[in-house]
Amino acid sequence: MVNLTIDDKQVSAPKDSTIYDAAKLNGIKIPILCHDKKLKPFGACRMCLVEVEQMKGRQIPACTTPITEGMIIRTDTPDIIKARKLVLELLLLNHPLDCPVCDKGGDCDLQNLTYDYQVNSNRFVDSKFQHEIDYNNPLIERDMNRCVLCGKCVRICDEIVGFGALTFIDRGIETKIGCEFEKGLNCEFCGSCVSVCPVGSLLARPFKFKSRFWALNKQNSVCGYCGTGCNLTLGVKDNKVLTTIYDENQGFHKGQLCVRGRFGYQFISSDKRLTKPMVRKNGVLTESTWDEALEVVAGRLKGGTDVAALATARLTNEEFTLFKKLLEKAGTKNFDHSAGYAHAALTDGFARSFGTSASPASILDVQKSDLLLVIKTDTYETHPVVGFEINMAVKNKGVKLTVLSDKRGKLSKLPNAKTLVHTPGSEIVILNALAKAILDAKLTDGSASIIPGLPELELSLAAYGADAVYSQCGISAADINKLASEYAAAEKALIIFPVGQAYSGHTAELATAAANLALLTGKYGKEGCGVLCLSEKNNSQGAVDMGFYAQNGSMNALQILDACTSGTVKTLFIAGENPLNSYPDKDKVKSALNAVDFLVVSELFMTETAAMADVVLPVCSFAEKEGTFTSADRRVQYVKPAVRKGIQTKTDYEVFSDLICCLGGQIPPSTAAQFDEIAGRVPGYQGLSHASLRINSAFAPVSITPAFVVPKVPAPVTTGQGMLAMVTGSALYHSGTLSQFGEGSMYVCPEAYVELSRTDAAALKIADNDLVNVSSNAGKLQLKAKVTARMPSGVVFVPYHFSAAPVNTIWNGAAVTPVSLSK
Amino acid sequence: MSKVVAQQAEEQEPEVDLIKADQVIDKYIDLPGNLMPVLQGIQDAYGYIPRIVADHVAERLNVYPSQIYGVLTFYAQFHLKPRGRFIIRVCVGTACHVQGAQRIKETFFNLLHIAHTETSADLRFTFEEVACLGACGMAPLSMVNDDTYGKMTVQKVDEIVAKYSALPLD
Repeated sequence: MVNLTIDDKQVSAPKDSTIYDAAKLNGIKIPILCHDKKLKPFGACRMCLVEVEQMKGRQIPACTTPITEGMIIRTDTPDIIKARKLVLELLLLNHPLDCPVCDKGGDCDLQNLTYDYQVNSNRFVDSKFQHEIDYNNPLIERDMNRCVLCGKCVRICDEIVGFGALTFIDRGIETKIGCEFEKGLNCEFCGSCVSVCPVGSLLARPFKFKSRFWALNKQNSVCGYCGTGCNLTLGVKDNKVLTTIYDENQGFHKGQLCVRGRFGYQFISSDKRLTKPMVRKNGVLTESTWDEALEVVAGRLKGGTDVAALATARLTNEEFTLFKKLLEKAGTKNFDHSAGYAHAALTDGFARSFGTSASPASILDVQKSDLLLVIKTDTYETHPVVGFEINMAVKNKGVKLTVLSDKRGKLSKLPNAKTLVHTPGSEIVILNALAKAILDAKLTDGSASIIPGLPELELSLAAYGADAVYSQCGISAADINKLASEYAAAEKALIIFPVGQAYSGHTAELATAAANLALLTGKYGKEGCGVLCLSEKNNSQGAVDMGFYAQNGSMNALQILDACTSGTVKTLFIAGENPLNSYPDKDKVKSALNAVDFLVVSELFMTETAAMADVVLPVCSFAEKEGTFTSADRRVQYVKPAVRKGIQTKTDYEVFSDLICCLGGQIPPSTAAQFDEIAGRVPGYQGLSHASLRINSAFAPVSITPAFVVPKVPAPVTTGQGMLAMVTGSALYHSGTLSQFGEGSMYVCPEAYVELSRTDAAALKIADNDLVNVSSNAGKLQLKAKVTARMPSGVVFVPYHFSAAPVNTIWNGAAVTPVSLSK
Repeated sequence: MSKVVAQQAEEQEPEVDLIKADQVIDKYIDLPGNLMPVLQGIQDAYGYIPRIVADHVAERLNVYPSQIYGVLTFYAQFHLKPRGRFIIRVCVGTACHVQGAQRIKETFFNLLHIAHTETSADLRFTFEEVACLGACGMAPLSMVNDDTYGKMTVQKVDEIVAKYSALPLD
């Protein structure tokens, strides 16, 4: 700690602080426009000028000057106030001063400072800026006339997002912020630049003219999309979620969000939401009452051994627990979520390798590690905020990054990142070859010898010599050996891979193969080490923790659908899942849902699946209910209603309790009491309660019992002459099928596409945006072509989210599907 | 660089051959901080920085395209439009100004119909006003490429234009 004096106050601050940090830490406010605590100091705005006695009273910027012992600083002398007023006068000189119509009004640093410093006249006269306003995209409006050139947008896009869409153009008085060749913004649309803009230059267009800032009711919540578990502040007015508000103190990600979190909130207050229960009468879904609907459902559930259930991984932990109780009451053990295979890496893979169905690492480890091995580049697409963490780790901390993927991506472009592009579907082969290379070079950690299963593993890896696997995976022996020795030599190393419904290749076997590497080299159970499985939805890990999946011989999701077709399952309860769109093999799902005697769907929207139901129950989104979500790295977070639910809608929790009552059970406890029961039962949740989680989220610790597991390697896929290998996955802008109802996501990425390499495009004479027929054994689908530099030749990528062009018409769940493309 | 100029640059973009660019990039690819020498080399090779080449440089050097554009617009030495074979520079610094640089400038404009930073349609001439060429004793001063013309007069402008119009373009 360094001792110094600020405004006659004796204070101390950590030694690497700047004057600005030290003042802020000690409650002294220094005005500033160009500072954000996540970004590196820049010193652009000159508002934070202070006087330092040791520097002969010169005015120096507080945000870029490090503190030294015994510094005597004054922040508010008449000279400084005069200087700040001058800065403001100059900033306001060319500014349009259109505050009455500016959405930033009330939340604008420039406006507030002008008020604070009483700049009511300007000694200078000059013309106003005449820059054209960028309305080229539906999400972010750029009005450079209001800009104060603080550079925060340029810096956040580079330092955190890693996209680099914005830059300073020209110089001197002509300087402005813009994109290359004055084009409109064409980026990831995460809106980070909007969040840090101190003035009204960058604005969220969906929020334009919706509300003044001070009229918004700010509600803390947790994002309902992916498993990262980002914290949100929702801006609510008249019981409608109108925007998300940036708070740099929120969550591990310090308020940083992706396009879905920031712009995909519209589904909450969408007018397409279901408002009344519906019951099928004479073949037509007709609006009904809750009493009738619940009675019909309860009648079907009673004593039904032929009942099964599928749930979305977006339910709360309390709802999963209660749903399980309801199903047990109904006498069935057949329930599952996320198509079954999407959580197998946790429930099967990690359960065998680490003795626990959770990742033995957290997102916080990304920046604390020395080496990251990221399987699939899609991490930044499936979990964009984790992508930001990786970007910061590589750029600021010099963490080594190796990407093992079937295509390139944003992460491949990071400085010194090594991308090993392999044959699709050969991940496990490569991981095995890495394990063998580590064993052969005797790079194993001492702790590995006492873990059971080592001799069997060693024996099974005999065929995976680095030279031998080249033909299968396309990665050279030199690269494999180099990566193996780097991984083993790194003091701390972390393996990251995403799982999800479109990542059917990311199986339990892949998890065990990755775990073997960590176990061989002792890279687990320590800070910055481990294997992090990024589960797809906001409560995927919670669903696993609550035990809402097939166990002890009960049917998994795909078996349940088969049983529907064969008639063994007669009543199917689908809570929030949309299998018709997201499960593999659409035809099979459709015939199962057609065949099942009685289908009840609880949903937010009239999805394709809901449209086939006999009873549709309108339920609540994350912003309308109370409960807890568990993120991919087992952070348990509390959500409370941010908006009132519709009069005729119920939360899933209420639906399940009502049904339990209908079945003659006792009225279940409140969600808080339900969570107390969970805390008493689920390992790692001990000591947690709603009351404690309201204040702070908490990690549920993971205890590891390591074991080596011999991964079963899937047979390699041969694509055949003239065929391309199709891999499926998530598009950056979407999450599951829910984001289709988030207007922000749909503005930027409105339809499915097939992404292919330039060489394949040239050979097939396909241009960008051409309509292309993609045919596989399963069927045919017409998609827009997207020709990109990141795809290797012979591989095409199709995202899954879209009902209008569901990829499951041509995909039956294989990790790699041979397809042919034609115009 | 105004938006209009950037648009013109796009419209005027002819087919360019990336081989020359690749040669320059290959030369500097392993050099730390190689963006400036690469861009300078490319400008030497093409006479200006074609947009497609800028995008190509971004991809090969792994630099954001926006960052390249920032550098290109920051330095006056980079040009985003094809430039003429002959660059006419008319000094409008203080000494030349009092010696009648304004008349010289106007005469060039009347003959060639190109203003500051503009290029004639046949790519023969580019016209630039410069603040000072550092030879005030010769005011008013003009330059065409590396040739200097001091004590300029309206007649001399005619002669210069006639002389360089007669020279071959290659």
